Amino acid sequence: MNYKAGVCNFCGTGCGHILNVEGGAVNGVFALQGHPVSKGRLCVRGWHMHELLRDSQRIDSPMIKKNGRFEKAGYDEAISLVAKKLGEYKNPSSEIAFLASPRSSNEDGYLLMKLARSVFKTNNISLDSESGHRNSLNVLHRGTGMAGMLGSLEDIKKAEYILVIGTDLTRQNPIIGSEIHMAARAGSKVVTVGSKLTQIAKLSDVHLQLKPGSKKVFLAAVAKSLIEENLHDAEFIQKHTEGFDGFANSLGSLSHNDISSITGLGLEDIKTVARDLATAKTAMVFFTSGISGLDEDTVSYIYNLFVIAGKIGKEGCGVNPVTGICNLQGGYDMGLAPDLLTGFRPISDKSAAKSFSDAWGAGFPDEPGRGVYEMLADKSSGLKALVVVDHDESIVRQAEAIKKLDFVVYVGSFENPFAEYADVVIPSAAYVEYDGTYTSTDRRVQLSRKKTEPAEGVMPAWRIFTGIAEKASARWSYSSPADVMAEIAKLTPSYSGISYDRFSGVGGIQWPCDGRRPEGTRYFRVDDAASKIKLAGVTGSFKTMRPSGEYPWLLMVGKANHFWHQNNLMKRTFIPKREYNATLLLYPKGYVEISGDDAKKLQVRDRWPVNIVSQYGSMKVAVRVSDEVRSETAFVPYFIQDMITEFLLAHNELIIEQGEDAIIPIRIEKV
Amino acid sequence: MFLIKKSEVLKLAEELSKTYAVYGPVVEKESNQTFFVRPDSIGDIDLDAPIPSQPPKHTVFPQIERIFHYSYDKGAKRAEIIADFKPEPKALFGLRSCDLNGVQCLDRFFIGQEFTDDVYLEHRKKTFIVTNTCVKPFKQCFCVCTDSGPSAREGYDLNMTDLGDEYLVEAGSDRGKALAEKMGLKKAGSGHLEAKKAVVDGSISRFESIATDNKAWISRVMNRITTGFIKGEIWEYIGNQCFECGACTFVCPSCSCFNIEDVNRKDSSTDRLRSWDSCSFEGYTRMAGDHNPRKPVEDRRNKRFFCKLSYSQSKKYLRPGCVGCGRCQWVCPGDIGLPNVVTYIRREITSR
Repeated sequence: MNYKAGVCNFCGTGCGHILNVEGGAVNGVFALQGHPVSKGRLCVRGWHMHELLRDSQRIDSPMIKKNGRFEKAGYDEAISLVAKKLGEYKNPSSEIAFLASPRSSNEDGYLLMKLARSVFKTNNISLDSESGHRNSLNVLHRGTGMAGMLGSLEDIKKAEYILVIGTDLTRQNPIIGSEIHMAARAGSKVVTVGSKLTQIAKLSDVHLQLKPGSKKVFLAAVAKSLIEENLHDAEFIQKHTEGFDGFANSLGSLSHNDISSITGLGLEDIKTVARDLATAKTAMVFFTSGISGLDEDTVSYIYNLFVIAGKIGKEGCGVNPVTGICNLQGGYDMGLAPDLLTGFRPISDKSAAKSFSDAWGAGFPDEPGRGVYEMLADKSSGLKALVVVDHDESIVRQAEAIKKLDFVVYVGSFENPFAEYADVVIPSAAYVEYDGTYTSTDRRVQLSRKKTEPAEGVMPAWRIFTGIAEKASARWSYSSPADVMAEIAKLTPSYSGISYDRFSGVGGIQWPCDGRRPEGTRYFRVDDAASKIKLAGVTGSFKTMRPSGEYPWLLMVGKANHFWHQNNLMKRTFIPKREYNATLLLYPKGYVEISGDDAKKLQVRDRWPVNIVSQYGSMKVAVRVSDEVRSETAFVPYFIQDMITEFLLAHNELIIEQGEDAIIPIRIEKV
Repeated sequence: MFLIKKSEVLKLAEELSKTYAVYGPVVEKESNQTFFVRPDSIGDIDLDAPIPSQPPKHTVFPQIERIFHYSYDKGAKRAEIIADFKPEPKALFGLRSCDLNGVQCLDRFFIGQEFTDDVYLEHRKKTFIVTNTCVKPFKQCFCVCTDSGPSAREGYDLNMTDLGDEYLVEAGSDRGKALAEKMGLKKAGSGHLEAKKAVVDGSISRFESIATDNKAWISRVMNRITTGFIKGEIWEYIGNQCFECGACTFVCPSCSCFNIEDVNRKDSSTDRLRSWDSCSFEGYTRMAGDHNPRKPVEDRRNKRFFCKLSYSQSKKYLRPGCVGCGRCQWVCPGDIGLPNVVTYIRREITSR
């Protein structure tokens, strides 16, 4: 039988697939019918997994840079050099950092975290492309103790009311988009709130096309309306939550006039959302939570709205951040953050920290470390050595800072422009070449089993990290990823019931999985919380960027439908590459999306150049006429390397601060 | 016409395995999902298994396949193209009637028209086909609406029908007959043919109660699609629900669209690969100069159903392009598998 069941490794949905393995190569992919989430569906990316896995641009041998040129080396030599060099730094807390990958398995992520902390004594470890999901997890963890999706993707059809905030799920996580679409067809009411007319907006019962940058005000307005009309779930709030009064008071500063003028929506629209949300027996909210997720304050309003509506803690309910990368959730579960241990426990938790140092037989610094990007941006950080795992080319943007480093290590499967900056390159096996678990966005831990052999001599990452640790005189004795999971389970309460022999059939186990809940936990229940559910603290500040006479347009900056994570993986496939590059072929230097009416007013046509001018700078870019944006709003896709312009980098801080809802007031001039 | 005891039916496959790589329906254990593959042992073939989740078209038209490779010798200024495709002879054992109809559509596309596709021909001319009548439909089936089942009518070497304790084995070709004779199968009589008819009629009558997922009364819709009298809004409604994943194409027994990709290898030679493609992709119809006759998604959806259900396309296939297997409805994230589309169009017709 040459078809082997597995887990799709692209986005955070965690769909089941089945790979056709012939003669040691992956020659095809098919959908897995019995998977509880994907139920026999895959998206355009998933249907072409085999094209990626056949890619021949793999790193096939360790390499060491000597006199500016790479020379092939053995694993032993490369690993020894890494262990020796990293061991030489006297102040590892400021001199060494590790950049982990949200695509690594839980086992690989955990061992990298252990390597950084227990062997090289630094807490400077962070995930690439992290910010958005961390914001979501912070809010959910503080409020409920559960640092993950409160609902479950299996239960989408059980939600009578579904609110989708922002990005187009039908493109970013298509199978989740599909489940929402199916729920709508089965009678759930789906409302999408976003400034662009996306496919999920078209498939919704209602699309509230608010003005860019006003999601937070919208959410606060719904909460305010809920309370004003006495529709909040008073019994639930009283019995199970704390912090209601503070939150209710913070809404006072929001006037009805502000609500209409900032969001551009009628009060009746907002009241309808509040009423529908309150009267539905069950409700879920979805928002993307990846590279450009929402800021923490906006997530707090989402969460608080659902708490006061009594729509968490029950089946068919939940606040559901959606991850864009296969193991972003697992990355946080494994403590791949400067201030976290596994299971989202802070490093400042003395007893947790002690359990790790006891189990590891080695201590690590008490103080949280710093994130890698933060250190690279800070010229006085003192960073000297950097270890980067797996492909992500966004780090190339930090090329100047990286060139100045003393020692750089790259561990990954595919050839990658970043590897050029490394002093030592160590190839690792691809994900189908060894066992590993991946945690998808609904806390679903799934085992992906080995299906093919790696190229001769190429090691899986867990072996590489173990090798480095042992060269640095640590005694690690793992003989398989299952051993690593056993250690994770021992040290992580939410994973304590998980072990490799628990994985049979398809679908995995949703954490928390422990003695009390041996089958795992589909959704957050009120009695799961150790204490009362806390409403999230909010700023109460509703300042938004407003257009002015000089800059009358609001420019949205965000993900483009036609791209997925800078196409790093997609460009190794055939069909998705063709589809995803179509936009690039049409607009090689990026584009600004404007409405047909605006194009007429400006007297420009599709692909004609315009100047975009803001307070901070200007850029020349092609016009893309689109029915997805309203008049006087414009959209530019960002963080797509091929499309990024200096213009957006000049606004970098503004964008990072505002997250997905980032907006810039601009004017557009015909060239 | 011959008979073989039910307990001995896999002996046919055993015999075929001496000459052919035998493919058949096998239930994968971990997922409990049926695949049409080479079994680890002939005993794994399960003739009662539900129709395979993926159509058997991959046996003659693989998901990805090298059709030739080439290299260029700079020094000698010599280019060399080596078309070394040599598919092994295959026996498709226990093929369902719908899937045989799918293969016949592929035949018409790849080798039945003006041009002959050498690679496909090579696969196909070495194929021995043993079909298996569906004695009852499965949930998603609607082959009775597309004239493609539940029992195969032509195009097989042998056609088997489960009569209870034994299979009726009909020969559809000389080599089929030769195989049955070589195996020393008992001759069947006209009574057995009547028994088969009863089985087939019984199967058809059970569509009403078993095949409840999909109904696709397509004749009227064929008329509409052929004449183009379908409102733009209907296509738009359908197009809005298309996730552009390509799944419907990949699981369709009769879909033949493919893409060609040249992949450079580390030894500086180049592989020319053929892989499945889909008309649902924008890039599929994009031309030089960025012209695209089917740019909006609804125009692409429209094309697919034109291909499956129009009379002009049926003239090419000598049958409707849809074979009634119901797989597209299984895999579609937008819930616009062919049966649903037929329903939307019919709804429009009847609402006038």
